[in-house]
Amino acid sequence: MAPSRTSTPTQWSADFDTSRRERLFRNPPRDHTAYPALVDATQPHIQSFNALLGNGQLLAAAIRDIGTKSFLHQRPEANAAAAQDGEGLEPAQGNRLSLRIREVFVEKATIPPANKYSTKNREIYPAECRERHATYRGKLRIRLEYRVNAGQWQESVRDMGQIPIMLKTNRCHLENCTPAQLVQQKEESEEFGGYFIVNGIEKLIRMLIVSRRNFPMAIVRGSFVDRGGTYTKYGMQIRSVRPDQTSQTNVLHYLADGNITFRFSWRKNEYLVPVMMILKALVETNDREIFEGIVGNLGSQGVENTFMADRVELLLRTYKSYNLLGKARTRAYLGEKFRPVLGVPDDMKNEDVGTEFLRKVVLVHLGNVDVSQSQDIDKFKLLLFMIRKLYSLAAGDCAVDNPDAVSNQEVLLPGFLYGMLIKEKFEDWLRSVQGACEDWIRTSGATFTDPGFLRDFTSKILRRTNENIGSLVEYFLSTGNLVSSTGLDLQQTSGYTVVAEKINFYRFISHFRMVHRGSFFAQLKTTTVRKLLPESWGFLCPVHTPDGSPCGLLNHLAHKCKVTTRDLDVSPIPRLLAGLGVSDLSSASTDEKVVVQLDGRIMGFCAPEQAHTIADTLRYWKVQGSHDVPVELEIGYIQNSKGGQYPGIYLFSQAARMIRPVKYLPLDAEDSVGPFEQPYMSIACTDNEIESGESTHVEYDPTNILSIVANQTPFSDFNQSPRNMYQCQMGKQAMGTPGTSLRYRTDNKAYLLQTGQTPIVRPPLYNEYGLDNFPNGVNAVVAVISYTGYDMDDAMIINKSAHERGFGHGTIYKTKIVRLNEDRSKRSAHAVTKLFGFAANSHVPAHVRAKLDADGLPYIGSQINEGDILASCYTVTWEPTKHGFINRDGQNELHKYKDPETAFIEEVRVLGSETGNEPCQAISIKLRVPRAPVIGDKFSSRHGQKGVCSQKWPAVDMPFSESGIVPDIIINPHAFPSRMTIGMFVESLAGKSGALHGLAQDASPWRFDEDHTAGHYFGEQLRAAGYNYHGNEPMYSGITGGEFAADIYLGVVFYQRLRHMVNDKFQVRTTGPVTQLTGQPIKGRARGGGIRVGEMERDMIIPGLGCVRVAGAF
Amino acid sequence: MSREAYVAPTSAFNTGTTVDPGPGLTTQYICGDCNQKVLLKQGDGIRCKECGHRILYKERTKRMVQFEAR
Ligand SMILES: [Zn+2]
Repeated sequence: MAPSRTSTPTQWSADFDTSRRERLFRNPPRDHTAYPALVDATQPHIQSFNALLGNGQLLAAAIRDIGTKSFLHQRPEANAAAAQDGEGLEPAQGNRLSLRIREVFVEKATIPPANKYSTKNREIYPAECRERHATYRGKLRIRLEYRVNAGQWQESVRDMGQIPIMLKTNRCHLENCTPAQLVQQKEESEEFGGYFIVNGIEKLIRMLIVSRRNFPMAIVRGSFVDRGGTYTKYGMQIRSVRPDQTSQTNVLHYLADGNITFRFSWRKNEYLVPVMMILKALVETNDREIFEGIVGNLGSQGVENTFMADRVELLLRTYKSYNLLGKARTRAYLGEKFRPVLGVPDDMKNEDVGTEFLRKVVLVHLGNVDVSQSQDIDKFKLLLFMIRKLYSLAAGDCAVDNPDAVSNQEVLLPGFLYGMLIKEKFEDWLRSVQGACEDWIRTSGATFTDPGFLRDFTSKILRRTNENIGSLVEYFLSTGNLVSSTGLDLQQTSGYTVVAEKINFYRFISHFRMVHRGSFFAQLKTTTVRKLLPESWGFLCPVHTPDGSPCGLLNHLAHKCKVTTRDLDVSPIPRLLAGLGVSDLSSASTDEKVVVQLDGRIMGFCAPEQAHTIADTLRYWKVQGSHDVPVELEIGYIQNSKGGQYPGIYLFSQAARMIRPVKYLPLDAEDSVGPFEQPYMSIACTDNEIESGESTHVEYDPTNILSIVANQTPFSDFNQSPRNMYQCQMGKQAMGTPGTSLRYRTDNKAYLLQTGQTPIVRPPLYNEYGLDNFPNGVNAVVAVISYTGYDMDDAMIINKSAHERGFGHGTIYKTKIVRLNEDRSKRSAHAVTKLFGFAANSHVPAHVRAKLDADGLPYIGSQINEGDILASCYTVTWEPTKHGFINRDGQNELHKYKDPETAFIEEVRVLGSETGNEPCQAISIKLRVPRAPVIGDKFSSRHGQKGVCSQKWPAVDMPFSESGIVPDIIINPHAFPSRMTIGMFVESLAGKSGALHGLAQDASPWRFDEDHTAGHYFGEQLRAAGYNYHGNEPMYSGITGGEFAADIYLGVVFYQRLRHMVNDKFQVRTTGPVTQLTGQPIKGRARGGGIRVGEMERDMIIPGLGCVRVAGAF
Repeated sequence: MSREAYVAPTSAFNTGTTVDPGPGLTTQYICGDCNQKVLLKQGDGIRCKECGHRILYKERTKRMVQFEAR
């Protein structure tokens, strides 16, 4: 079958498919990947980055939000006059410079025009950046427009440096490459991108959990009380998100006297405003309208709610003391107060500053650019709703919304965070132009209207600003530190990026499915944020979280969970809702009217009975695809309850939501379900559990709740749950196959298992994710027997012959970079001070010459030991007369190999510069360290059963079965009773019968039950092959030849070799370096230090061992 | 901090050689993009003469490489 003629099939089963896989490997497809599931895994990363400059155009929205910045320059005497006048300056009194960014461009990575040598291909591909330890980045440019006073807008295209580009996005050369083309570009055939390359290291921005956007959340927090005298624990918080994905959190605080204040944070400072002032500033309103908006119209049941009516009355009454009447005066008052913090031009009227305040701070999701009157009304209505919900929270009529539940959370996507950062850097830069202008005015003595200004503006003034935004962004990626003047409405300043380690493929893919709760929560003493809540079902994997300090904070997405990356078209929804009977008439009584919201906009109200019908109708329509209702719309219908969550219909259509596919029973079609709506839906887990008249949905497969890695644990439903968690950790630490393009990678340290196999026992998802391309362990014949005594306490015995056949044989590749220009700031050809090689007429000792070639670099294939020379260089100076470099001192500087292990030179790369004319200033040497398994190396099965190799036992002395099978591994039976990893027993059975019959065994969890047991199913297979039904066999001692008294459990289990090896860990010392101060041995294995005998160890030695004489030593 | 590690005695007969680079001490590399052989002198700009690629690989040595088999 020629791969080009027919489309590459993408359906996979649990079968071995050896020839199909081999064909794919030899002829990478020329149409599309054979593993679409793998591509889907990184979509949240890639699509969110694409939204920056693609159709979503987040950066375009960002520069709209930044708007026009204007700076005023006036004579000092005019300044003094302005100070007297509260209403700001008249425009005539100063000259104004206005700036705005009109467009943002990001180019693909290319070599700079200064390089005249590359004629064929001027594109820089990611593989080159990995090999050259460079950053994969593209030019960032903006079109800046500026004018003086009311003059013509002038434009200038500014170069803002180069920003790192995420792989496989719309600014990457690999975006639409087929597997065949990817291989051509030195990538994996299944490269899925989603990360950046910074200084040759693969970095990714990890996904963070943030509160659900545009949903007023009822919060009870003890710390609110500490804010001041009358503050109570009740609050109403909304994370309001602008179209450019930046957010502004608004909080309403309930005060003990019934008043409510509005709190927000602006440029890392907190501000409080009476909520009434904001209401009155938003629209031209009156007390009656506000009262009815909160409590309900006269004659509604809401008026009978005296708790609320009393407090609203008080709210209105206390506000009277401000004596601000009308929208204009309120805005002017707000403007006057917030003028210093908003950074507006001095001549802006107070009322306009107030408008600017409302635009930038108050419920920004309802309008943040050119806010229209109807948008202000929307903000007004939502604020009234929030007040109403806050009062009913304080009255105890509604429950708090749990901020730790996934239903009230969304994901901060990497691309969006990247855009937020770039937006902020743009804004900071625009602000910095003012300072540069002032400098210019001070030195030149002129003003904006001088002809010299426009001449100097681009050439001199902008030059003085830091236009290199690219380097700021690169700093963010390489350190993960967020340097921000606003804080970006986020709770942490560091830890945003992680290295995408390619220890093995599980590790690598897990990075892209990882969601972190935020490093702020890691310090909390309470464990509430770490709890596994039922709301997470199907969105976050319950198994795949590390143990220890990040437990429960670092989660992984379930493998079918997707994250939306664009806003849906919901324009028909308001019309549909109106047609379904949603009206403006509201009431504080939820028995009478409940709210209908779309993305935090009040669409209207309806009766509770009506709400049920509306939600059902919308759901039917969206799955059906009729009435232009998008299927990814989330319909959160919260029913009326006594003291439960505040009822209503909350529709969500925007980006960053988690969604997952579930079958909708009425139409037998795929519905997408979000975490907000899920708790109020009846989703059957299996077809058998469908209850007529009750269930509306059914899961496609119960394994959908598990992450990619957790799904690979065979028969995980037989295991005690912590063992499955341990396996998720150990699977990611196994020595495996990081990739097939190892030749073009320069990882600091890469682990490779030479003899990887496909597991006999595996779920169908193993093939769907193409994991056979990255084998992670070997199938081993395992006997569970206590033999020789060397298998105590989780030790395991390896058959020496198996070891000699290559069982678990591995290799470590280390890359060492030798740089000559450590100070990389100076970058011109004439700043070269050193060159590789030997200085002319210098003396080179024989042992150096034996190791190094004439160019001062090591011979490829040669062996090196500790202290051997890796490279030689010498100092040079540029001699213009000879047009070359000459050496003056005749000395060679030698670079040594400092590691204690013997290694072999695998590759030596001579790295050039982007410009192509610099002499060699850096080399990258890849070393190969062979690592055959030795005693002390760590192995594990896929059931959290790790052990250390304690002996390599000669095959002649190993026990053997009646058919002559000698186990590869012996483990102790005591490993099982307390750990209850029954899945390992089942795997052993399944592996044995699979090996005997040549079958790939489906190991998916939840395929067996009490009537149809796994033991019986595989037992019958074993019986058919002529083996014992139970998996036990009579075995004979290899030493005596006598049969054991008991039958031994013998089967085939997939074993992983973990990367923790004694050779990296052993620490021995007799004498050695000591600390100057105390004379005690220094610490640290790398420096030849000792191991601390601590207090606890001391306690054990003195009384326990009775070493009275030792006691004096402590 | 002093390191009292064992240091092997340096052999007295290890005299070594003196490098005489001469005018054209060149080494041959392989282009990372087009696989062409690239001859470079010390101090030359690092690029492939054919395609301008910026990464060159060192060739495997032609000397005999022999290890003790264990
Ligand atoms: Zn070339």
